[in-house]
This record gives sequence, structure tokens and C-alpha cells, in this order.
Amino acid sequence: MASVKKRSCSVSSLMFLFSVFSLSEGLFGGGETFKRKLSIELNPGMLSPPGGDLLHVRAVGDNDTLHFLFCSQGAPTLLLVHTNTISSTVKVNWTQFLDRNISGGLMVEPESSILYSNAIVFSRLFEYDDVNDTAGATSDFFPPYELQDVSWSRLNLSDSTALLCGGTANSNGSLCLQLSVFESEGRGHLWPTLLHTANSSQLGVWLDGLLPRATRSRFLLELQAVGGSYSQVEVHRSIDDEFTPSIFKVSQWVSANSSSDGGGFVQWKPVAYRRSAPALEDATPCRHSEPRQQSGKEAASVSGLIRAFYTDPETFGLNVSFGLAGEPFYNSTRFLSWTMLVGIGSPPVDSFSPLVLAIMAVGLGAPMILLLLGGVCVCVRKRTAALSSMAYEPIN
Amino acid sequence: MADFEERRSLLGGEDEGSFTDRRAARGPGRPLPAICDPSHLLHRVVVLTFMCFLGFGSYFCYDNPAALQTQVIQDLNLNTSKFMQLYAWYSWPNVVLCFFGGFLLDRVFGIRLGTIIFSLFVCVGQVIFAAGALVNRFWLMEVGRFVFGIGGESLAVAQNTYAVNWFKGKELNLVFGLQLSMARLGSTVNMNIMGWVYSKVADLVGSPGHTALGASLMIAAVTCLFSLICALVLGFLDKRAEKILHKEQGKTGEVIKLTDVKDFPLPLWIIFVICVCYYVAIFPFIGLGQVFFIEKFNFSPAEARAVNSIVYIISAPASPVLGFMVDKTGRNVIWVFCAVVTTLAAHMMLAFTFWNPWIGMSVLGVSYSLLACALWPMVAFVVPEHQLGTAYGFMQSIQNLGLALIAMAAGAILDTRGYLFLEVFFCACICIALMAVVMLYFVDYLRGGDLNWSASARAKLLKEATSDAEIKRRPSKLTEGDLARLTPMSAFGLRNRYLSRLGTQIPHHCSTHLSSLAHRSVLK
Repeated sequence: MASVKKRSCSVSSLMFLFSVFSLSEGLFGGGETFKRKLSIELNPGMLSPPGGDLLHVRAVGDNDTLHFLFCSQGAPTLLLVHTNTISSTVKVNWTQFLDRNISGGLMVEPESSILYSNAIVFSRLFEYDDVNDTAGATSDFFPPYELQDVSWSRLNLSDSTALLCGGTANSNGSLCLQLSVFESEGRGHLWPTLLHTANSSQLGVWLDGLLPRATRSRFLLELQAVGGSYSQVEVHRSIDDEFTPSIFKVSQWVSANSSSDGGGFVQWKPVAYRRSAPALEDATPCRHSEPRQQSGKEAASVSGLIRAFYTDPETFGLNVSFGLAGEPFYNSTRFLSWTMLVGIGSPPVDSFSPLVLAIMAVGLGAPMILLLLGGVCVCVRKRTAALSSMAYEPIN
Repeated sequence: MADFEERRSLLGGEDEGSFTDRRAARGPGRPLPAICDPSHLLHRVVVLTFMCFLGFGSYFCYDNPAALQTQVIQDLNLNTSKFMQLYAWYSWPNVVLCFFGGFLLDRVFGIRLGTIIFSLFVCVGQVIFAAGALVNRFWLMEVGRFVFGIGGESLAVAQNTYAVNWFKGKELNLVFGLQLSMARLGSTVNMNIMGWVYSKVADLVGSPGHTALGASLMIAAVTCLFSLICALVLGFLDKRAEKILHKEQGKTGEVIKLTDVKDFPLPLWIIFVICVCYYVAIFPFIGLGQVFFIEKFNFSPAEARAVNSIVYIISAPASPVLGFMVDKTGRNVIWVFCAVVTTLAAHMMLAFTFWNPWIGMSVLGVSYSLLACALWPMVAFVVPEHQLGTAYGFMQSIQNLGLALIAMAAGAILDTRGYLFLEVFFCACICIALMAVVMLYFVDYLRGGDLNWSASARAKLLKEATSDAEIKRRPSKLTEGDLARLTPMSAFGLRNRYLSRLGTQIPHHCSTHLSSLAHRSVLK
């Protein structure tokens, strides 16, 4: 009986170990592990244009190019253009570009090589007085901060990140955006350590020291997605919160996949942090409203980059509101940061870290091995006992 | 029978004495009304109610931090590892006090004064804890929990000693069962009510904050005050019964000799490992459970607290039932194995799936009760009677040490790595316990031990052993209490001693004086 137990035990333990290894293999091998070569240029063709900077990052892959264009002319905008050749370039006609009423100031050549393009515009920052602590965001709105009217600083470049900060008229604090472009797959360093691929870029937005207009005010950020049918935000539940502790959801704003173009996505975790080096208690949940179609003309008037690249694009907008009922208000720390991922193709999928897999494999495998060994010992013991006891014969 | 003789010698001829004294007391004339007569059932029922409520306050207040986790963290600006310090500080004094609880109650204070002193510690500790919240000083709250811990565990010892003194034989099962239920009731009521109390107090005070938190904890301290009053009343009634019935003050009968530790056999050390590794995956998890259910499963705070308390609610009825089952069938090691495996399954369910957590937590509650019923009696099977006090004291001491350390570690892990990693950590602890159970089975099997015998096999052997022991014992008249303790007790008596703890029917000739030893462990 022990030998039967031993056999079934060994089979089941082998099967388990096999499944663990194949799972880890699948999780690791399934991502896009290709690399891109980055080349960064600031304001191509002109030295410090008035009104804002234009950053152009060329991420060249094996047989395609991804152009990241980040501009602070008007409202801050990030534009991604995916082409199917490694020799595509961006041409800027600065007179047309700076005149915000004419389109066509920015062109990607050759135009026929453009596979897909999408853009994100940060248009407004709303503030409302949450008197009853309900986070309803329906009334008591103060006049919104139009981000096209903010006086933006020069783009501050370091490594493969660009920092853009701006202040409003009536306070010392600042609203900053940080763009990070990546060569290969990896993870962010600060919470929410979002998993990124070479096909995506990370945008962090934060309010630092901005004077709230009420003690109980909360903020909403209005985003516009241009260039695709971004009609839906999917919320996925995930069991893994290793990289953003206590957050089990991922929100993905994807464009409806119409044809062979990969589509684009905006991905974020529904959490904002109330401190620059956050601990678990500094996490505050955030909600988003349903995306609504908006007029492309409005987007073009707000952002110089949209005006220059698109003619009459499809535009959807949504509001991200920070803080729920019962959460501390902005006034408690006067800091709020939120991070998102903008990219081409399908959004990256998080997986378990190797440590977790290793612990589970060892934890579940070791008792089984022990059972096996013990069964073997018992078998051996029984056999020797049987052999030795054969010498004895019952007396009666 | 041999057991009866031993019981008589150990209890100091109490029954006979009380019987004659009862007649003598009624002799002179004025008969007491039933409710005032200490030997009458009605009076003892009254004493029983006070005994049960003695521990209510301590169990109610032990899990106050878990019931108010979000409020404590937000109002005092803590992180999770500092929050878990509140549990660690409860466990630290009990690392040492487990050895001295019995000694203090027997030799230093006596049961009556000792109970009152420990109740006072519980009350004062909770008041200091609440005061710390009122003045927003976290170190004061930690001091309060430390003082609370000094009283909490020792109060359970006192409660059991009272039970053994006032009730005999079959009644004792019911009494222990009731005490267990009251303890669990206290924990459950705390989990489900404190949130509501806090919100009402916050409305009264104006806004949530440390003042509202302190006021809510002061309201919780009222239960401790109530327990203190019960302790005073019990002391008075016990003293009165002593005068009327001329019986001695009760004793725990516990003997601790730390030098016995070197004689502990290998199976006992493995049992210690199982105990520590298992309980550190249960209590810190319940301590941090509320926010886990809110964040991962989108429960409302009230629902999250209810699901967190299901472990306690289930263990109240399940413990006597499962204890009866374990004792009828024997094979303790297999039951421990089943309990550990089902706990592992429950933790993995909660960690790796989005299945309704009611399922996972209910499974956890049943397996936790099963383990308590199967694991603690095994200590009595491997250790001779005169070392039992030391063995249990040591087991509780390292259990508390493990809980204190792992509570802090759990908080730190959560702060940096999140809930999945914390659950994986708990699963790893359970896997270590699982390895220990497997090792225990094989070590015991290969050594020819009797841990995993079925109940019938054990009964058969004990019948033979009892008859042998009778023949051996008749010439030697053991009447001295210490001498009687030196002879190892028959396994039959050992088994039945712990039946009483589980609320089962035990035959008349069992000896129950040491049943209180194991019983307090079940309350953990």
C-alpha cells in the first residue's frame, strides 16, 4: 500500500513541478522582449521656439519606428506615430506650427508608412469643494485650470526622461508632467511600478504644492485621446498586487481594434499617491468617468501638436477623479501623483515575480518530496522487518 | 480503581470532605436558600455565568485593532508595520508569563486575588491603550497593549482553574465548552460592533480622528470593567463557599521545571514547530484581514469585518464537535495533516483566486478548530504527566514569541510588497508546518510510537495497562500528592483528561485536575 502511495505521490509531484515550470516559462517568454534604439532631439530645426517646446524621440526597432512627440505648445500633448520603416522622419514647418490656426505644420515622412497614430491631450484640471465628503464631483466646481494657459517651463531632459513643469497665476506650487521613453521591457522604479515594453511610454502627472482653493477640495484631470475610437475603458482584475500593493485592478483605455493596425492604449492603475516617496497609506484610489466623444476641432484649438498633425480627428475625453469618500483631502499633503502608460499595440500584462513562483514551488514541492522519501523509508523498513521476522515461527 | 485513588489524593479528598461538611452545615439548623447554597446547582450556575463573562472583556478587546484597522492607521498616521506592533506588544509579556502564570496563581497570589489582579491588568491596560489614542501618542498605546497582555493570557488560566474547582466530571465538559463559546462570542461581537461604535462616536465628536478613536476604545474598556466586576464577585463567592464548605482554595496544579526541556523527545519539538508555524499564519492574517477584503474583493467595511470574524464564529460550535470526532477516531496525526492541508488550500484560494472569500474563511475556521482539537492532546501522548506543565508552558511561550515576531514581519511585508506576497508568505509558513506534520508521522511511525493510533487500539491497550497498573499499585499506597505526580499516568487517564477540554462525555473515573492546562490553549 505504501508503494502505491509512493507511486501516486511521485506522479502528482512531477506533474505539479512540470506545470509550475511551464507556467513560468509562458509568463516570461510571452512578453515582447524586443528592443528599440532611442534617439532624442529637442525642437528639431529651431532653437527655443516661443510658447513651448517640442520633443521628438525616435524609437527604431527591427523593421519599424515609433515616433514619440511631446509638446507644450498650448495644452501638453503626447503623440505617438507608428511607421513600418526604419527610415521615417519627422518634418516640422515651424512657421505653420507656431501659428496655431493652420494645420499641417508637422509631418511624418513618408506618409504612406504610417501604420497608426494616437495622441493624449491634458486639457483641464478641475477642482471642486467636497463639503460633505462624498467625492461626488457634481457640484461646487471652482473655475478649472486650463492647461493651455499655464506658463510651462522649458523641457528638462535627462537620460530618456523629459520633465515639464508649470505654475499657475495665483500660487507657488506646480503641476508637472514627466515623460519616460523606454528601450526595452522593464518596470518603473516608483509606485505604481507599471510594467512597460519598448512599445510604450510612461507619463507621470503630479501636483506639488499647488494651493487648493478650499480645505476640502479634490481634483479631477481631464484627458483627451485623439486619433482612434477610444470609446471604452476596460477594468481588469488581477490577483497580483506585488508591484502596487493593495491595488488589484488595472484600467485600460483602448481603441476599438478596427483593422490590421495594432491600435493604441492608455493603461493605468486606479491609484494616486499623496506623497512623493509614498508608503502604503499614501495611496488614494481614483475613478474615471465614461469616455465621451468630443469635437476634434476643440482638441486642435487647445493643443498645437494636434492642430499641426491632425486635420479633423476622432476625439474622446474622460475625467480622472482623485480620492473617494472618506479619503484624506488634497490639503492634507498638498501633493498628488498619478502615472499612466501610453503605447501602441496591446497593453502589457503583469505577471508574478520570480520570487513568488520560487517560494510557491519550493513550499508545495518540499512536503511532497518529504512524503516520497518517508514512504520510501517506510517501505524499506517494512521489507527488512518482513525479511527478519520470517525467522520467527509462532509457538502455538 | 487506580484512577479514582489518584484523583482522590490529588484533590485532597475534596468530595468526601465537602459531602460531610455539607451535612454538618445543614446540621446546626438554618438551611440556605438554593441560590445561596454553594453546593447547589443553581448557585453554581450563577457562578458559571460570572466565570464565563470573566474572559469576555479580554477577548473583546484583544482584537480591537483588527476591527478598527483603517481608523487606527488613518487617525494616528501609522503604517502597517507599526500597526502590527499593537499585536506584537500583546504577545511579548506572554513569552515569559506562560511559565509563571500557574506559579503566580498557586503560590504567590492565590486564585482569588490572582484573578482580580489579572483582571485589573486587563482593565488598566485597555484604559491606557484608549488614553494613548485620545492624546495621540502611539507609544502610550503600545504600553497599554503590553499591560493588557500581562493580564490577558493569565486570566484564561485563572478562568480554567475556577472551572475545575467548582465543577466536576461531566459538568466540566459543558463548562469548558461554554467558556470557549463566550471567548469566541467576545471576539465576534468585537469585530462586528466596533466599526459601528466608532462611526457613532465620530458623529458625536464631530469628525473622525484620534479623539473619536480614543473614545470608542474607552467604550470597549467598559467590557473590561465588567470583567473586573465579575472577578470581584467570583472572588467573594469563592471565599464564601470556602467558608461554608470548608474547602481549600483551588490550585492550577501546574508544575514547571525548565530543566525538563532537555528531556523533551523529538516528536514534541516537531509538534512545537507545527504549532508555531500554523498559528502565525492565522492570527496575523485575521489582524490584517479587513483591509484585504475591502481592497481585493470590493467588500464594504461592515462586510469585510463580518467575513473576518467568521473564523471565530465557526470555531465556537465546531471545536466541541470536532474534538468529539477526533477523540472517537484517534489518529491525531492524520487529523493534523488534514487540518494543515485544508488551511493551505484556504490560503491559496484567498490569494490566487477571486472566489467568494466567505468560502475560504469558512474553510479556514473549520480547519483551525480541527487543528486545535487534534494537536494539543498530542503533547500529552508524548510527554509524561509530571512534565506536562513545562511542555504546555513552553509551547505557549514559543507560540507567543512566534506571533510577536511574525506580526511585525507581516506588517513590514505588507507595506513593501502588498497582499499577494503576504499571502504567499503565510502559505510558506503553512508549508513548513505541513513538512513538520509529514516528518512527525514518519518519525513517530519509525520509532514505533503511538501518536497515530486509532481510539479503539488505544483503549484496548489502556485496558490492559490499567489492569496491570492496578495489580502493581495495590501494595504501594501513594497518598502524597507529589509522589502521585511522579508516577506516569495511564494513557487512558491521559486521553480522558483532554476529552473534558473538548466538551465530550467522560466516564466518572477520569481525573480532571490537569484538564485546565490544555484547555486554555484551545482558547488561542
